[in-house]
Amino acid sequence: MLFYTLKRFGLASLVALTVSFISFGLLYLSSDPAIAMAGETASDADIEAIRKLYGFDRPILVQYFDWLQRAVGGDLGKSYYFRTDVSALIGERLPTTMMLGVSAITFAILFSVPLGVAAAIRPNSIIDRVALFLSVMGQALPSFWFALMLIVLLSVNLRLLPTSGSDTWLHFVMPTVVLGYYAAPAIMRLTRTGMLEVLSTDYIRTARAKGLRPVVVLFKHALRNAIIPVVSLAAVQFGFMLGGSIVVETIFALHGAGFLAWESITRNDLPTVQGLILVFSLFYIVLTFFADLLNAWLDPRIRIS
Amino acid sequence: MIIKKHVSSLLIGALLATGGASVAHAGKSDDTLNVAIDRELESIDNYYNTAREGIIISRMVWDALLYRDPKTNEYLPNLATSYTWVDSKTLEFELRKGVKFHNGEKFDADDVVFTLNYVADPKNGAKPARNVNWWSSAEKLGEYKVRLNLKKEFPAALEFLSGPIVMYPNDYYGKVGPEGMAIKPVGTGPYAVTSVEPGKRYRFKKYDGHHSGSPKGKANIGNVVFRTIAESNTQLAELFSGGIDWIWKVKPDQAERIKSQGAFTVKNSSTMRIGYLNFDAMGRHSKNPMNDVRVRKAIAHAIDREGIVKNLVQGESIVVNSLCFPSQFGCTQDVPTYDYNPEKAKKLLAEAGYPNGFETPFLAYRNRDYAEAMINNLNAIGIKTKFEYLKYAAFRDKVQEGASPFNFGTWGSYSINDVSAITSHFQSGGKDDYSKDPEVIKQLGIGDTNVDPQVRKDAYKAALSRISEEVFMFPLWSYNTWYAFSKDVEFTPTADEIPRFFTAKWK
Amino acid sequence: MSLSNSANINRSGKLSSLIKKVKGHQGMIIGSVIVITVIAIALLAPLIAPHDPYHQDLMRRLVPPVWDSRGSWEHILGTDHLGRDYLSRLIYGARISLLIGIGAAVISGIIGTFMGVMAGYFGGRVDMVVTFLITVRLSMPVVLVALAVVAIVGGSLQVVVTVLGLLLWDRFAVVMRSSTLQIRSMDYVAAARAVGCSTSRVLIAEVMPNVVNNLIVITTIEIAHAIILEAALSFLGLGVQPPLPSWGLMVSEGKDMMLFEPWLIAIPGVALFMLVLAINLMGDGARDITAPENRN
Repeated sequence: MLFYTLKRFGLASLVALTVSFISFGLLYLSSDPAIAMAGETASDADIEAIRKLYGFDRPILVQYFDWLQRAVGGDLGKSYYFRTDVSALIGERLPTTMMLGVSAITFAILFSVPLGVAAAIRPNSIIDRVALFLSVMGQALPSFWFALMLIVLLSVNLRLLPTSGSDTWLHFVMPTVVLGYYAAPAIMRLTRTGMLEVLSTDYIRTARAKGLRPVVVLFKHALRNAIIPVVSLAAVQFGFMLGGSIVVETIFALHGAGFLAWESITRNDLPTVQGLILVFSLFYIVLTFFADLLNAWLDPRIRIS
Repeated sequence: MIIKKHVSSLLIGALLATGGASVAHAGKSDDTLNVAIDRELESIDNYYNTAREGIIISRMVWDALLYRDPKTNEYLPNLATSYTWVDSKTLEFELRKGVKFHNGEKFDADDVVFTLNYVADPKNGAKPARNVNWWSSAEKLGEYKVRLNLKKEFPAALEFLSGPIVMYPNDYYGKVGPEGMAIKPVGTGPYAVTSVEPGKRYRFKKYDGHHSGSPKGKANIGNVVFRTIAESNTQLAELFSGGIDWIWKVKPDQAERIKSQGAFTVKNSSTMRIGYLNFDAMGRHSKNPMNDVRVRKAIAHAIDREGIVKNLVQGESIVVNSLCFPSQFGCTQDVPTYDYNPEKAKKLLAEAGYPNGFETPFLAYRNRDYAEAMINNLNAIGIKTKFEYLKYAAFRDKVQEGASPFNFGTWGSYSINDVSAITSHFQSGGKDDYSKDPEVIKQLGIGDTNVDPQVRKDAYKAALSRISEEVFMFPLWSYNTWYAFSKDVEFTPTADEIPRFFTAKWK
Repeated sequence: MSLSNSANINRSGKLSSLIKKVKGHQGMIIGSVIVITVIAIALLAPLIAPHDPYHQDLMRRLVPPVWDSRGSWEHILGTDHLGRDYLSRLIYGARISLLIGIGAAVISGIIGTFMGVMAGYFGGRVDMVVTFLITVRLSMPVVLVALAVVAIVGGSLQVVVTVLGLLLWDRFAVVMRSSTLQIRSMDYVAAARAVGCSTSRVLIAEVMPNVVNNLIVITTIEIAHAIILEAALSFLGLGVQPPLPSWGLMVSEGKDMMLFEPWLIAIPGVALFMLVLAINLMGDGARDITAPENRN
């Protein structure tokens, strides 16, 4: 188990490195950092001066390693736009996004897994149809439409919830539902499929024949096996949500890391984007790592491979 | 009022009927005006942001030596009680006595000298550079007297000194610098800042100690809160639910419908911003059809500007025929003009050797629908476009690198009421100049550096005429802004696109 | 010869029993009918669209559909913000949405399945490399990649399909890998190898048929996902470029008016919803029909 952990950790670091290098390269290819830093009305001379001063004329690899060196030491540089420390900026915005993400995936799981199980137990029944319908809705509904419709209904018309902002927990209710709903369909369908398959295997038939109570069969045996791809998927979905949070954060004026990421990309604020990508990929890696651990615990067969 | 039979109208109608009572007094009842802005401000410090919202806040929190009256365009005394041109490159000011900053510091010559010397120093990186790079130094002549030494003749000096060049407290700014000012701003203006959540929310409170001779007058509304809400539909939802009392930059179709619902006050006002088409006349990008003046004239005749203004831009916008906004000093509409004439356009194209049209890249960063309408016009005369729609930063970079032979842009002149803020920006041989015409450059140079108003007007007229003749750039229309706000608020927009909340009041 | 089939069934019998199963599956029928209708609409667009989808009429902007009091039969579904006929745009939009969904899913499906099955079956270093690639891909923000690609290459239909194809393979890979891992340790696979079947034979004859269920489910999810993702990219300005009438673009163009003229996004939204629903029904039907427990 220790070796497994170390192996995963090494892999994870390599991933973080690769991702940060690719995004560094992409950012450089799509905009000129000297112009981004110098600002709108700088003259050519100003831009050249900045290019020399900040070393933007050095080869990309050199610049990248320079950034990396400082990043590892905790210095993510200063935002081109805000002129404040990137780490402080991210530190301020990240909690909002994390809170949103965690509540959204929790909502998604609490909503989807029971529904998927219920649909699998009674295939082609009303429950199954409803589950399918809801899952298609979740995929086919543009999240901005869903978000704004909720706002109009619950905030503008019924005055039950505040429209936008992040001051109280009430402000997070609608964003959680919108973001979680986006992740729910895949989780539900995979749970359902997985359960359907497992429920009809010899393994389960044997357990049933042995006279084990249905509930035990369901949870101890069936769900445990069916859940394996779902755990991986849930981790993937969480990763997606960090990206999907851009729309939700924009509409609900949540000013989290997702909103910051999009705005920074469009403002060519390289240090901020680099810092955010690093943080997101680290988070994501930790997440999948734990998902893998959970899977290995659930199914010893996977561990041995 | 006609009640339209469709769902959303019912939705909003129902809201306004039931929630009407509580909505109406949301802002007034706690003497707080809630304003929505659509983007994050990089810094609230006047010299470290270039956003329009920054300009608005600047007028609320700080004062300049003079103040341009938005109705008469006269320069009124503010922190300076009088000024004299000692010679064409030197200005002297008598300062107002008895003014106090929000933190109690006394205002005097030290503050003016410190501020002007600090922001003019390129090391300090104040932006935009064009605002602060035209004087060399400021000197203290007495406790309430200062002298400003210009680098060269700069006729727009008073325009800048009456708006963006605001005075900072030397003790405070010397200690905390831009970082400190960004978190806890201090000025002399009608509103003081009570809290800053960078990029998210800014709170302002009426400053009772605002100097009594001020042309801005004391504020009426006690508290103002600016909240950043990027999504326009959310801003509307907040307005309808009473969370926000005032929004602007409302899209014309939205504004029209809010107006007809009748629950909010909707106003429109022109702005100094104009739209234009820029052509690679000199072949800076490549050899391409835009090099030929006949092609450029053809395009000028092909665009149905009146149609686009009437149906898309709407509001108080007008078609403009020279590369400036009519109110700007030096701007004249007495230049060669081009009517909407697709037949003539096709003939010109054929003359230039493109009887079947051609394909060209076309770049834009805003008003996608106007761009599409123009593309439609171009298609009608045989010109096909490879359209690229980028964010502003990417658009600007591409244009300034010389990579765009044909693009649609806009320019607001930073609300500076002078041709030098626009025409000279684009046609004096700078990074946005794709014609670099020696004659135009010469005339603009004369206009930019002479202080004699008549000499300036003549030079600018010559430049603008030549630009029109050769269609180096093609001016399209002026822009306008729609405002929507609670019926409890009395507010009048100004043509310089700088809402002045210190003149707003509750009804 | 597949060891997981217990009997030898001749080909024509297999086909007829398949058809019988399809006929009996309600969802599959409904889904197929809708999808076929959409495909037909897409193919017949020039014949059935009442107007040119690109023709602008600035004097007749935002005309509501015929059921509103201000609508007319000339524009059954109304006009958009540039006065273009909405019904015609909807019809032509079917082409774009289908192209994007299927194109992106095919590209990402091939890439992802290959990588996932390889990783699940061979394990070891292959698995490590694939897992590494998956994690890298998932840690890369889609938006950044799309933005960079568009900035460098410019936006167009081909670019969108390629970008989506290169970005959506991860779910295929993850799920195929999981499924393959489970299958690999099954008895019949071990038996096939013991008997001496070559690796490729084992993969094709034993592994693939048994992971096909999950593959079908994921494919349907991804086709729908690609279509929806294109709408999100259009929202950000990185998707299909106007004046192309993609349903996703129609939704984002109508967004500003959604509180006032909701039909602008409702109409393409419903179209997207129907298509996605139908694809899912087909996918479910196909899974139910080909499920191993149904095979005899």
